[in-house]
Amino acid sequence: MKTTFAFAAVAAFVAVSGPAHADNMVFSSWGGTTQDAQKAAWASPFTEKTGITVVQDGPTDYGKLKAMVEAGQVTWDVVDVEGDYAAQAGKNGQLEKLDFSVIDKSKLDPRFVTDYSVGSFYYSFVIGCNADAVSACPKTWADLFDTTKFPGKRTFYKWSAPGVIEAALLADGVAADKLYPLDLDRAFKKLDTIKSDIVWWSGGAQSQQLLASAEAPFGSVWNGRMTALAASGIKTETSWEQNITAADSLVVPKGSPNAEAAMKFIAMATSAEPQAALAKATGYAPINVDSAKLMDPETAKTLPDQQTASQVNADMNYWADNRDAIGEKWYAWQAK
Amino acid sequence: MSTYSDASGAIMPLPKARRATGFGGVVPALAFVAIFFIAPVAVLLLRSVLEPVPGFGNYAQLIGSATYLKIFANTFIVSGLVTVISLLIGFPVAWALAIMPGRLTSVIFAILLLSMWTNLLARTYAWMVLLQRTGLINKMLIGMGLIDKPLALVNNLTGVTIGMTYIMLPFIILPLYGVIKKIDPSTLQAAALCGANRWQCLTRVLLPLAMPGMAAGALMVFVMSLGYFVTPSLLGGTANMMLAELIAQFVQSLVNWGMGGAAALVLLVVTLSLYTVQLRFFGNQNPGGR
Repeated sequence: MKTTFAFAAVAAFVAVSGPAHADNMVFSSWGGTTQDAQKAAWASPFTEKTGITVVQDGPTDYGKLKAMVEAGQVTWDVVDVEGDYAAQAGKNGQLEKLDFSVIDKSKLDPRFVTDYSVGSFYYSFVIGCNADAVSACPKTWADLFDTTKFPGKRTFYKWSAPGVIEAALLADGVAADKLYPLDLDRAFKKLDTIKSDIVWWSGGAQSQQLLASAEAPFGSVWNGRMTALAASGIKTETSWEQNITAADSLVVPKGSPNAEAAMKFIAMATSAEPQAALAKATGYAPINVDSAKLMDPETAKTLPDQQTASQVNADMNYWADNRDAIGEKWYAWQAK
Repeated sequence: MSTYSDASGAIMPLPKARRATGFGGVVPALAFVAIFFIAPVAVLLLRSVLEPVPGFGNYAQLIGSATYLKIFANTFIVSGLVTVISLLIGFPVAWALAIMPGRLTSVIFAILLLSMWTNLLARTYAWMVLLQRTGLINKMLIGMGLIDKPLALVNNLTGVTIGMTYIMLPFIILPLYGVIKKIDPSTLQAAALCGANRWQCLTRVLLPLAMPGMAAGALMVFVMSLGYFVTPSLLGGTANMMLAELIAQFVQSLVNWGMGGAAALVLLVVTLSLYTVQLRFFGNQNPGGR
């Protein structure tokens, strides 16, 4: 019986010691080079300024986030999530309302601000191509869906998220301002025409690998990955024609033990300079409108915020409302 | 521990009073199983019948949908295929290991174990690089003039089967080796002396004697394959999605724990019933069979 008691004591201790110390907070993101950049551009200067240590964790996992909030054992204070998820989780009561007396939203791109979230950085789905591997690169979504003009494998994002459905509809001739509400049947019908030629990527590194090895010489990828690929010496072509934007968001899970520090962290992360530093490191665009003038023109040119003329905005609110329904259809179609 | 060493280092039996007696001794173990295995499964079961609305809706949806049934079928087809191929490759290897000279055996064992201990993700990515259109295998085949267009070896059933078989092989070779090693070589000699040809020696003497090892290894591989995630997710296409990947999507991406729980529970029930069947048929047999 002693053992059982000891066990209970340990369990109780673990439960009590759960919340982190006040001078600590935890930031969760997706890992890899992006999180490294977030650490360098946001967390380090933040710690220097406030003395609050930012513990890095990840990768972000929506199941885990939900479990934390439901169990009342939240160990993440600020989480980098996808924009449509942020909008949905906010509505479902899983997030803390952001404190806009601490976070200055007047300088933030309003497309990426809600009561519960602000943009982290924003990216575009572009048409990327390994120009060394093919004689001609697709320029438009219609090209990417045209297997006669551009034979071979093409790669698309595997998960149900803004991007691929929009691309299919645009390729099928839907006008950019008539995309929403999404005509899913039409999109899947269009996707059916290239289904056997699709290789799916489930993470950024994989999309790079597929393009670089010419396993799939072209496809729809995050623009930052093209910047990185070009830097590696491969001859790449990126078409910004109707680039589809989406953003990552910063959120605070409901019941975060260090919500106050979390607000300060978000305020810092979304201010002009750290946003510019992150953009420089990742090739993703800043969501602070003052960041652009802090960047050298060479870098700024490669960012999605310079491509607004040909830009299509994915509707995060539409996605938030229909996330589950689209997801179910999406995975069912994929497995068919 | 039922023994301890005294000062002289000799092993002494524990004094009777300190020995765990009766049911009390297993309480910690049972508590461990209850907390870390039974409780989570119970929660999962509850969620699958309570979310999003109470009832068996999740199960009905799971069984009523052609897509999900196809994913179940895929899971069993891939697992079965991997099990059969692992047996076909693993048996000769285990046999060779059992009869080879000691030094060679330890080299092959080292290779086997090292590959088992290498990071799973790294090994899976390695296969991805080897198998792709512009990968080593396709380049070699084209270079040798055997094919003129690259074969589609990855992002499909072929890729999953190759990658999973490679990862599962040690799990079939090791138990098989243990069983074959215990078979007395003189039984084969006796069979030969009694007039059995090589084929009869194999099918009527060796295979029946090795059966418990084959059954144990095959079950282990089959059950592990049923719940496999990383390799099918990376080497397979979406057309041959397996159950574990569906569960991951329900839990992580769609945050639909009711469906995820239902799918996970179906997988668990299937696994447990397979295990029961195996125990019934092979559980009483002493491996090595004498």
